[in-house]
Amino acid sequence: MIVRTLICVLVLISTLGLVAAQQPEIVIRPPITGVTRLAAADFQSKAAATAETDSALKVFNDVLWKDLDFSAFFEMKSKSFYPNKPIRVPLDVNFDDWQSSVVNADFLIFGNVQLAGSGAVVEAYLYDVKTQQQVLGKRFTAASTTLIRNVAHNFADEVVFQLSAATSRGVARTQIAFSSEKGGSKEVQIVDYDGANPRTVTANGGLNKFPEWSPDNTRLAFATRLPNSPRWEIWVQEVAGGRRVLSAPSSYASSPAISPDGQRVAFSSRSPEATDSDIYLANVDGGGMRNLTNHQGIDTSPCWNPTGQQIAFISDRSGGPQVWVMDADGSNVRRLVTEGGHCDSPDWSPDGRLVAYSWQAPTQWKHDVYVVEAATGKIFQLTVGGASNESPHWSPDGRHIVFQSTRSGSKQIFIMNADGKNVRQITAYGINESPAWSGYSKREQ
Amino acid sequence: MKRISTALIVIAVFAVLMVLSGCGKKPAPAARPTLPPPTTTTTPTPTGGPMPTIELQADPSTVERNGQTTLTWKTQNATSVVIDAGVGNVSENGSVVITPRESSTFTATAKGPGGEARASTRVTVVTPKEVLGVTSTDIDNLMQAIQDGRVKDVFFDYDKSELSPESRATLEQNARWLRQYPGAPIVIEGHCDERGTEEYNLALGDRRGQATKEYLVQLGVTAEQIETISLGEERPFAPGQDEAAYSQNRRAHFTVKR
Repeated sequence: MIVRTLICVLVLISTLGLVAAQQPEIVIRPPITGVTRLAAADFQSKAAATAETDSALKVFNDVLWKDLDFSAFFEMKSKSFYPNKPIRVPLDVNFDDWQSSVVNADFLIFGNVQLAGSGAVVEAYLYDVKTQQQVLGKRFTAASTTLIRNVAHNFADEVVFQLSAATSRGVARTQIAFSSEKGGSKEVQIVDYDGANPRTVTANGGLNKFPEWSPDNTRLAFATRLPNSPRWEIWVQEVAGGRRVLSAPSSYASSPAISPDGQRVAFSSRSPEATDSDIYLANVDGGGMRNLTNHQGIDTSPCWNPTGQQIAFISDRSGGPQVWVMDADGSNVRRLVTEGGHCDSPDWSPDGRLVAYSWQAPTQWKHDVYVVEAATGKIFQLTVGGASNESPHWSPDGRHIVFQSTRSGSKQIFIMNADGKNVRQITAYGINESPAWSGYSKREQ
Repeated sequence: MKRISTALIVIAVFAVLMVLSGCGKKPAPAARPTLPPPTTTTTPTPTGGPMPTIELQADPSTVERNGQTTLTWKTQNATSVVIDAGVGNVSENGSVVITPRESSTFTATAKGPGGEARASTRVTVVTPKEVLGVTSTDIDNLMQAIQDGRVKDVFFDYDKSELSPESRATLEQNARWLRQYPGAPIVIEGHCDERGTEEYNLALGDRRGQATKEYLVQLGVTAEQIETISLGEERPFAPGQDEAAYSQNRRAHFTVKR
C-alpha cells in the first residue's frame, strides 16, 4: 500500500511540473496535463462548401480545438500529422491511420456542418480509436450561424465529461464576470470563458467592483458607488436585469461573496462607530445583517468554502494583510498564511482543498498568484515574471484559474491551468480587473 | 389585544421612569449640519383622557459662545413638563434663560392623563468672530476655504492610516474653519496609491477617511457634519509610478457635499 502510494505520488510529481520548485515533494493537485491523446479532425461541410459554410467551419473548428486544448485533460495531437482525407461521417474513418505511430491518438473527434436556413446543423462524433467504438454521436442545431461557437463549446464539454470519467463537466460554456473601466466609470461585464461575446451587466456610470456569481449563475453581487455618491453599496443583481441593494451599515461596503447555498452574502463593511472594516453577513434579500468579525484592523475579501461552513478573508490585524479563516458564524478564527507581505483576494477551490490568493512580497511592488493548502498551510506560487498578477478565481472544475495581470501593459484578464501553465489572455481593451469565474453551465441532455 | 395594551403601558411607564430618573439628562445629541425645524410628537396612553400638547421655541436659535437664549414653552392638558439637556422639571407654561455651552437640541416632554407629548428645538452656538464672519451660506464659505487652501488635504505614509504630526497640524487648522461652517456638509475622500490590491485599498481609504474624521471630531467639529467615502486607488491625483506620484495619491481629500 505504501509502495503504491509512493508510486502515485512520484507519477503526480512528474506530471505536475509545479512552478513552486522549492517544495516539489508536496502534491496538492490532480495531474493537470492528461495522458489521453486526442485527435480532432477539422469538421467538414456536409454539402458543397460555400463561403458561408467555410467561415462557419473556421469558427467551429477553431473554438472546438481551443476548448479541448485548454481543458487540460488531453494531449492534443497536432493536425499536421493527420491523414489528408476529409472525414464527414464514421464511414470515412480509417482507424489504422489514427492509431499509427505518426498520429498515435487514443480518441478521434470529427463531424460535419450543414447550413439550414439562417442556422446550421452539426453532427459531431467521438470515437475510441483502438476499439473503433463510438463514444459520442451528437446532432446539434444552431438557430443562427453566429451561435455555432456555442455548439462547439457544447460538444467540447460533452467530450470532457465523457473522457474525464465525469470528474469535470467542462468549462467551455462557463462565463467570466469582471469590472471593466469605461471613461472613468467601472462597469460589470461578462464574457464567455474564452473572452468572446462580451456583454454589459451594469451601465450606471459609477464604480462597480468585485463581482461574484451566485452558485446558479443567475445573479452577480458586487460593490457599487453611484456617480458622486458618498456611499458604497452591495448590489445583488440578476444577470437578466432586476437588482436588490443591501443597505450596508456605513458608507463603506466592499467585496461581496454569495454563499454556496445562494442564501447569504458575506462582505466587508464598517459599523458607523468603528475606525475600520469587519466581515459582515446578510441574507441575500438584505435582512439579518450582522458582523462576523469585530476586531481592530481591516477585514475584507471574504470567500466561502464549498460547503458554506467556513469563510476565508483578509485581515491586517497582525500587521500586513494576510489570509485568515473562520467558521461561518465568526468563531474559530485562525491565520492561514504566515508569510508576511500583503495577501488579498482569497478564493476557495471547488474541492475545498486549496485557497488561491495574491501575494506581494515585503520588498516588491508586484503581486503574484499563489495557492495555499487549507489543511496544512503549504504554499505554491503559480505566476512569475515582472508584471503584477492578482485576483485569482477558480473555474468550477478546479482545473483552471482566472486572474488579472499587467503583463500586457494595462490590467487585463487571463486564464491559466491550476498549475500556472497554459496562460491565455481573454481581454485586450481598456482596463479590466477582479474577474470571477461562473459555475458550470447547466448540462443539456 | 389585551397583551398589546399591557405592552404599551409598560413602555409608557418605562419612558416616564427614564425621564424622571434623569436618564433624559444625558448630553444633548451632537449637532446636525442643518437646522432641524421644531418638532412635536405625541404618544397617547391607553387610559384615555385629553392629549397633552406642547410647543417649544428658542429665541435666538443661534447664539455666540457664552451668549444667552430664551427657551419658551406652552402646553395644554399637561400635568408635568421636563426639558432635557440639563434644564430639568419646569412648570406647564413658561420660559427660561439658558447659556448653552455647545450646540444642542432641547427636548421638552409634557405628560398628562391622555399621554405624552414632546417638542424639540435646536440652539447653535458659534464664537463671536464666527458670527461676524458668516456673510454667505456655510456651504459657499467652506467651498471657498477649500479653494483658497485654508482647508487642506492631509497625506499618509505607505499602507498607513495614522495621522502624522504634520497631518494633525493641518487638521487643527482645518478644524478652525470647519467649526465656523456647521451648516456645510463635508465629505472626506480617502485615497490610496496604486500599489496595494483593490480590495485592501478600498478598506484602507475608508480607514484614512475615518481617522481624519475622528481627529476633526476630537477638535470640536460636529460628527454629523462629516461623511467619509473611500475611493481606494480609483481616483489618483498624480499619474506616474514613482514615490512623487504615490505620495500625492495617499490622502484624505476635503470636499463639500452637494
